[in-house]
Amino acid sequence: MPPASFLHNLHPLTKVVWSLAVVTAAFFLQGPLPLLLLWASVLAVAGAGKVLRQVLPALKGLALLAGLFFLFQVFLIREGNTVFTLFPAKGIGQVTDVGLYACTVLALRMLAMTSTIPVLLATTNPKDMVVAFVEKLKVPYLYAFMLVTSLRFIPILQEQLDLVLQAQRARGRDLEGRNFIKRVKAVVPLALPLLLVSIRRSRTLAISLETRGFGSGPRTHLRPLAFRPADIAATAACLLLAFLVILL
Amino acid sequence: MIRAENLSFTYPNGLQALKDISFHIKKGEFAAIIGRNGSGKTTLLKHFNGLLKPTSGRLLIAGLDTARARTAELARKVGFLFQNPDHQIFLPTVAQEIAFGPRNLGLKGREIERRVAEAAAQVGLTEYLDASPWKLGKGLRQRVALASVLAMGPDILVLDEPTTGQDYRQAREIMAITKALHRKGHTIILVTHDMELVARYAEKALVLGGGRLLLQGPLTEVFSRDDVLAEAGLLPPAVLRLTAPYRKAGLIPGVLTPEDLFREVCTILRGEDHAARILPA
Repeated sequence: MPPASFLHNLHPLTKVVWSLAVVTAAFFLQGPLPLLLLWASVLAVAGAGKVLRQVLPALKGLALLAGLFFLFQVFLIREGNTVFTLFPAKGIGQVTDVGLYACTVLALRMLAMTSTIPVLLATTNPKDMVVAFVEKLKVPYLYAFMLVTSLRFIPILQEQLDLVLQAQRARGRDLEGRNFIKRVKAVVPLALPLLLVSIRRSRTLAISLETRGFGSGPRTHLRPLAFRPADIAATAACLLLAFLVILL
Repeated sequence: MIRAENLSFTYPNGLQALKDISFHIKKGEFAAIIGRNGSGKTTLLKHFNGLLKPTSGRLLIAGLDTARARTAELARKVGFLFQNPDHQIFLPTVAQEIAFGPRNLGLKGREIERRVAEAAAQVGLTEYLDASPWKLGKGLRQRVALASVLAMGPDILVLDEPTTGQDYRQAREIMAITKALHRKGHTIILVTHDMELVARYAEKALVLGGGRLLLQGPLTEVFSRDDVLAEAGLLPPAVLRLTAPYRKAGLIPGVLTPEDLFREVCTILRGEDHAARILPA
């Protein structure tokens, strides 16, 4: 893990509470300015946790998504005064002042809500997250394990896909075509072997889990997580702020 | 047939996997590419099917520059048999699986049927043509993969660790098929770290180590260079290690397989007393 900050040391659940508090606040705040402030507060937390640079690519992606969201919605709202029309001749692509305002609020709300996720992930060890959920929230370990395993399988799948791709290319399957229908058709020779290899692999995984006594008794953890005073303070602050936002 | 000229390759992350490699494999040769994991074998292989393009130098396959040739063009010249047949099998019957490649080449009807029948016969799968490849054992699935490559009609066959994960009998079967294909005129490139396999089937070897071509030449020559092999992290086959002192003393010429050794020892002992009693037949 990169340089630890107080954010890294907080209990994973505290950070989840923070994330939920931001989501709640985002739902109750109505104007663009308060939402912008809320988003700024998320960035400030990221900065305080020394992960701003690390989460920047993810934030960029989220901003792009919010932008797209804005573009799709803005043309659908017909109320209010028309500000401008994209194709005046045909009368399509009307943008109204009400639409602009509503969509800005929606996009900012989405941005503020989702921006907590990369910060959460960047400052929390996924294993700790699992332990926290299992220990404090009593999520059955089996489900937590399934989630983590499926995430861990992604790079392996990538590797397998590479091999499948190679094998099918060697049989003259041209995967470089631009034609959409051809591309869709080209997926079958890739997807089927990948699926079957994955099923085989998961069976092997199941067997190796059983041989190591998975689920045979109560589990202990290598790094027990404590809920410290700082966590209590941070959780209380988040809850309080969320409450204030709701009351206002 | 295959000519590499000062081929170098550096991955986008800066890792230089191949350094200034030059070699020439002639038509009809049986060449082995040997080296331990991470020596650059796989990277070199990926150049043969155009998956990777040299960052400098070039690779010519049957006159085609791999940097410019299309995948389908290369697939016609070079057939690949990969380690795991399951990475390519996806059709409901063996016949359809074998027909997939020729179909991609744009062939139709009778020609496809002819190629499927021929390829299946070459690997001994004729009786399984209507079976589901997923229900066959690993050895047979490997042969399905080989047939599906042969149906493309390539002159060159590249076999990447074709015997891993197979029992002795299956491994011998696939190698016997390979040998038969070699006799019919195919150029064979065998990638492996099984030295016994190399000694038994290949004619020449290319030794890779740390991304460089450390040594190339006829087997007896390559296997006598213990120093280079050690640098590449390889051990000569047991027979060669056993006979090394005698070879150095000029008592036994270079032998590659236990059968060769047996024959040599018979010749040497011929005329000696009791030889018949020591050696059967």
